Amino acid sequence: MKRSSIGIIAALVLALAVASLAFAEGNARKGKFLYRQKCRTCHGATASDLSPNSKTQADWKKTFAKWEGIKCAKDWKGVSDADRGDIYSYLHDYAKDSPSPAKCN
Amino acid sequence: MNDNSTRQISRRDFLRLAGTAATAVAATAVTAATAPEAKAAPAVQAPKWESKYSVCDMCFNRCGLIARVERGVITKLDPNPKFTKSRGMLCARGNAGVAQVYDPDRLKTPLLRVGARGEGKWKAISWDEALELAATKMKDIGEKYTRCGMLFSAGADMQSGFVNRFAEAFGSFNVTSHESLCLLSGNRAFLDTFGDVPLPDVKNSKYVILAGANRLEALVTPDSMDLISIMKEGAKVVVLDPRYTKSAALASEWHPIRPGTDMAFMLALANVIITEKLYDAKYMAERTSGLDKLADHVADMTPEWAEKETGIPAADIRRMARDLAAAAPSSMVYPGRRTSDYENSTQIRRSFAIVNALLGNYDRPGGLVPARPAGLKKVPGEPPWYDDNPPGRVDAKSVPLLFDEEGSFVLTREAVIKGAPYPIKGWFVYKTNPMATAPERAKTREMIDKLDFMIVVDITMSDTAWMADLVLPAPSAMERTDPVQALQSGAEGACLVWRDAVIPPLYQSRPVFDILKILAGKLGLGEFFDFDIESYRLKQLAAFPEAAEIIKRDGVFYPPNPPLGGTDGAAFKTPSQKIELFCSRYAEMGLDPLPVYTPPKPSPDTARKFRLVVGRSACITQASSTNNALLSEFEPENMLWLNDEAAKELGVKQGDVVQVESPVGKGELKALVTPKIRRDTVYMLSGFGSISGGLSHTKGVGASIVELMETRYDSICGNSAIHETFLSVKKKGAA
Repeated sequence: MKRSSIGIIAALVLALAVASLAFAEGNARKGKFLYRQKCRTCHGATASDLSPNSKTQADWKKTFAKWEGIKCAKDWKGVSDADRGDIYSYLHDYAKDSPSPAKCN
Repeated sequence: MNDNSTRQISRRDFLRLAGTAATAVAATAVTAATAPEAKAAPAVQAPKWESKYSVCDMCFNRCGLIARVERGVITKLDPNPKFTKSRGMLCARGNAGVAQVYDPDRLKTPLLRVGARGEGKWKAISWDEALELAATKMKDIGEKYTRCGMLFSAGADMQSGFVNRFAEAFGSFNVTSHESLCLLSGNRAFLDTFGDVPLPDVKNSKYVILAGANRLEALVTPDSMDLISIMKEGAKVVVLDPRYTKSAALASEWHPIRPGTDMAFMLALANVIITEKLYDAKYMAERTSGLDKLADHVADMTPEWAEKETGIPAADIRRMARDLAAAAPSSMVYPGRRTSDYENSTQIRRSFAIVNALLGNYDRPGGLVPARPAGLKKVPGEPPWYDDNPPGRVDAKSVPLLFDEEGSFVLTREAVIKGAPYPIKGWFVYKTNPMATAPERAKTREMIDKLDFMIVVDITMSDTAWMADLVLPAPSAMERTDPVQALQSGAEGACLVWRDAVIPPLYQSRPVFDILKILAGKLGLGEFFDFDIESYRLKQLAAFPEAAEIIKRDGVFYPPNPPLGGTDGAAFKTPSQKIELFCSRYAEMGLDPLPVYTPPKPSPDTARKFRLVVGRSACITQASSTNNALLSEFEPENMLWLNDEAAKELGVKQGDVVQVESPVGKGELKALVTPKIRRDTVYMLSGFGSISGGLSHTKGVGASIVELMETRYDSICGNSAIHETFLSVKKKGAA
């Protein structure tokens, strides 16, 4: 029992030490909720059927670095900066080349 | 053949037995109903049974079947010849599905625990009472500990997706499945190498290395049948296993590899393929990244080096590397399924993936093929957001690359025991059985003791159900209407199946979908279950308007399957957009970007000199089928495979009862003394040594693997590591 506890603590320390580019800083889970609430109203209905695995992590990063340039950005009513950060985290963290790619439709 | 003294049972006997048992049940069930019809004229008589399509539930393969139903009773299950994934086969377990339906051990009513946990004292209660209680408890736990205070675990079942849907609507991030006790290390490794988890196209392969996968007993359709077919046509199948399995017996070649050294073998294959330039240089340059680094990494890992680690002669390793490369791209290192063996299992499977990459077999006949398009649509929902929830799963960040949707059961359990990073106090379990599958049963018990409320929905009183507060009876698969599921079959593509009830639900059983729908209604989440399964299926099949009628007609639908090679020229879904021999993400995260071999750790205790390896047979799928009345005729108990020379030293004779012990538990079972296993290794079947009083064939019979296994897990993805335990073995009664 002691051995496994030590093992688990070691793993936790390791995990904390490896802050990674694989994950963005926002709350990806909340981003998933916000994406469904704010973006799916068009994407998948009247606009392109987007999901995190539509792009690579690098592509999402590039797209959101200049988010004002995204075609529908002017329609993002009620999306705060924090919301946008969370939505980006969701799209980025589950991108098609991410460690946990979103499952396709 | 007619020798009654033999215990061997032929297939014909088995089928006769199945028929007899089923008929006996049928007879019991219809006595009070109509009397048998008067004898009709012979000839041109329609069969007296109805044939109904369904899908087997005796393991995860989901083979198509046709049930014979006579006056409301299932009398036999036959394979569906139109279901090509199983090559028109229904295995022994599938045939025994009848005994699952009419199992006297089935749960019949909702049961509420009235004694101490695990004591086995129950009170039958009504569904209304049971569901009201469940909803109240879940609501209380959600309010007191946040919604993430409920854990949800569902097995590999066609309705398990509804448990995940419910968990999301309820607001819990804590969901586990059987996967982190089974196959995640392999998925992790192949995903991190290829950017997807490809499937083996065994049917078209000329050379297959099965390392640790006992595919002719641990059946996976169509791979198991295809291995036999391709050997008939001259393909080579090499088995590496410390045990002379039936796969080994039928293979072209068997090597009793030292357990835990598969990576050394794979790196030596890579060494030969690279040093002798047996790869397609143009392909490697265009489609892979890190060949130079890999070449440096394996430069010293010669077959001679690997021989010392694995025990496999260097000349054989060299020959296998050359033959494998000569047959490329129609050759493979078989990826395997259950990869929960060592603490470095992801890295071991990375070495498998790397050899496949060197063979250039991706998206090629006889190689590894990307999952084929199934075209199934998700049925969307918009679950609410709960602001008071913690930031993530309870096991988040406990290992560097957890799969967020699956997590790690072992690490979740650790967090529940500690109550950190936050408490989990409720557990909803559907048709999965961690008390029989997760290493160190005492710890699973310790976890359960931390809970305020535990609900299990299952067909029988599993060991996990035995620990619950509330047990709800589920119908067997033959009594259910199920959503559409996509199944993959190598290069032949996906197929889509569903289940319609063959007979109505027995006793008071209710499908988990109905249970969740009612609970959702009681918890104000009704909008997420505002459908029935028939309408849900039509939404899933929106891309194929003709599919529903075809499934009704044939029991299966095959969506269009584009030819292989469709990914040629397209980027791989990895950071480098190539097959990553050198894993750039691992490098960035401080993990070994190339698999680094370390010899398996020896036993820390000289008294425990046998490494425990475990598995299943063609007649049972772990604890979900060992209690089956028909299958227990084949596998009535588990025995300890013990090498004959080791047994001699221990004074153990064939059939003696031996006591086995690990640092975490003990067991007693009979010894199977045999030369068919290495002397440093012992083997046991899973699924025995049950503790549930509701399992009349397995309670206390044989030994439990999870009573003995220590808690170990894959350091990258948290998959359990169940071959890391050493046992002491002695004859019962010996000093």
